[in-house]
Amino acid sequence: MSPAPAFVAGAGMIRFGKHPVDVTLERMGVGAARAALADAGADLADVDGLYMGHVFGGPVAGQRIGAQLGLDGKPVSNHENYCASGATAIREAWVALAAGLHDVVLVIGVEKMTDRIVGGVRPDPGDLDAAVGYVMAAGHGMSARRYMADHGATREQIAAVAVKNHAHSVHNPFAHYQKPISLEEVLGARPIAEPLGLLDCSPISDGAAAVLLCNRAGLRRLGLSGPVPRILAVGLVSGFVQTGLGDLNAEDVSRRAGEEAWTLSGVGPGEIDLVEMHDCFTIAEIVRLEGLGLVPRGQGGEWTAAGHTALGGQLPVNPSGGLLSRGHPVGATGTAQVCELTWQLRGTAGGRQVDGARTALAYCKGGSVNGTDGGSVSTVVMTR
Amino acid sequence: MPTTTAESPGTRAVRPFRDGLVALDPPRLLGSRCAACGTTAFPPREFCPSCRAVEHIDKAELATAGRIHSFTIVRQAPPGMPVPYVLAWVDLPDDGVRLLTTVVGTQPEEVELDQPVELELTPFGTADDGASLMGFRFRVTTRGETR
Repeated sequence: MSPAPAFVAGAGMIRFGKHPVDVTLERMGVGAARAALADAGADLADVDGLYMGHVFGGPVAGQRIGAQLGLDGKPVSNHENYCASGATAIREAWVALAAGLHDVVLVIGVEKMTDRIVGGVRPDPGDLDAAVGYVMAAGHGMSARRYMADHGATREQIAAVAVKNHAHSVHNPFAHYQKPISLEEVLGARPIAEPLGLLDCSPISDGAAAVLLCNRAGLRRLGLSGPVPRILAVGLVSGFVQTGLGDLNAEDVSRRAGEEAWTLSGVGPGEIDLVEMHDCFTIAEIVRLEGLGLVPRGQGGEWTAAGHTALGGQLPVNPSGGLLSRGHPVGATGTAQVCELTWQLRGTAGGRQVDGARTALAYCKGGSVNGTDGGSVSTVVMTR
Repeated sequence: MPTTTAESPGTRAVRPFRDGLVALDPPRLLGSRCAACGTTAFPPREFCPSCRAVEHIDKAELATAGRIHSFTIVRQAPPGMPVPYVLAWVDLPDDGVRLLTTVVGTQPEEVELDQPVELELTPFGTADDGASLMGFRFRVTTRGETR
């Protein structure tokens, strides 16, 4: 038995990118929250509580934002699941709404990175992987090399993910980058973790994205009628400790997160019209789509190069530009994905609209834990 | 060669950078092995990640010979990590263990998939009490040294 759906009454973002130091975490969070409230036509007095996703924002970041926003005194909880933090906050909000604990809640994902992250992100210093020199880009570089060897995929096919996602975000006013890039630029970019180069990597970004969620009682409180996009379910799994010498790119953790989503939502993978996929690196989009079972094993590179995952293709992936081009303020990514799905399902996504979008999936994979096939993986299923 | 300990006055102590992860003499990685199903884990765990047993998990010294399953040349890293360096998934076929490690012993551009490598210990910094900490890495096996 699944919890009842959560309605997305409002969605709002501030543009992702490199913001000046005085554009603080609190200011960004407040900006996204006000945009989501305005989008819903709601007042602060309508909001029962605040769910906050962030990684590097420090203690009680949600309460710090609440005190600036005017949500002081309300229940506030802070959720850290690395790059799945925003999606995890949405999951907890969904559960609280379904339980009837709250009827209208605000979920904010926010991250201030450009003033505190240099050279890339890595696991917690206490993790064995960090001690032996692991950085996130390295894991994906090794994934890409093995994928090419196992499936005969080409470097160009992997690079095509970045070209596609940058082409999409030309139409996204909230994206960090809004210019197309060429395949030659991706292939010729400075190497970061070979075979991956700078344009295979999502940028270090600042940003915030917020959604106002409600249950049926909340719809009445907000005076909303007519179709409102719904979150049917939010799957969440963590990686298993791996044994043996199997497929490095099996992405069993993605398969399991997909199974959670299909089971909880009652939606099958064949019904998904578009995907917001956690493309923190180009190769990650490919192997995670395959792990979910949305793309046949070993064919993700071909699919990308053939345009099947581009706008107008059979399964558009990352119409927003994804992490590669919308940007990746890590705690904000999960909420930004749900903003994008909301706009897509309303049919208001402008030049990046997926025609006839009815049902959509957002996927985040957060963090790495030594010996496992992932930290946290979240899967949000929405319908209009 | 006996290893010194923190309790030996007058001598500089050397110890593994994490307790129970490596043996210093002879150099070995230390894992755990499930008596029920035979699965070996590294680093050692108090449960069997394969059959989920929580009893009869034994200590195990791992084989020192491995081969490169995949690798990357890291050219950008956070401060304090000199680049470039080679990071690899190394398989220990005798134990059925795959582990993450740096690889040395050749130019980064000459590392290849399936290349044979051998365990070696390497300094991993200094502890607060002044002890030298030892960690591990793998070295590309020189031609003629194939196992």
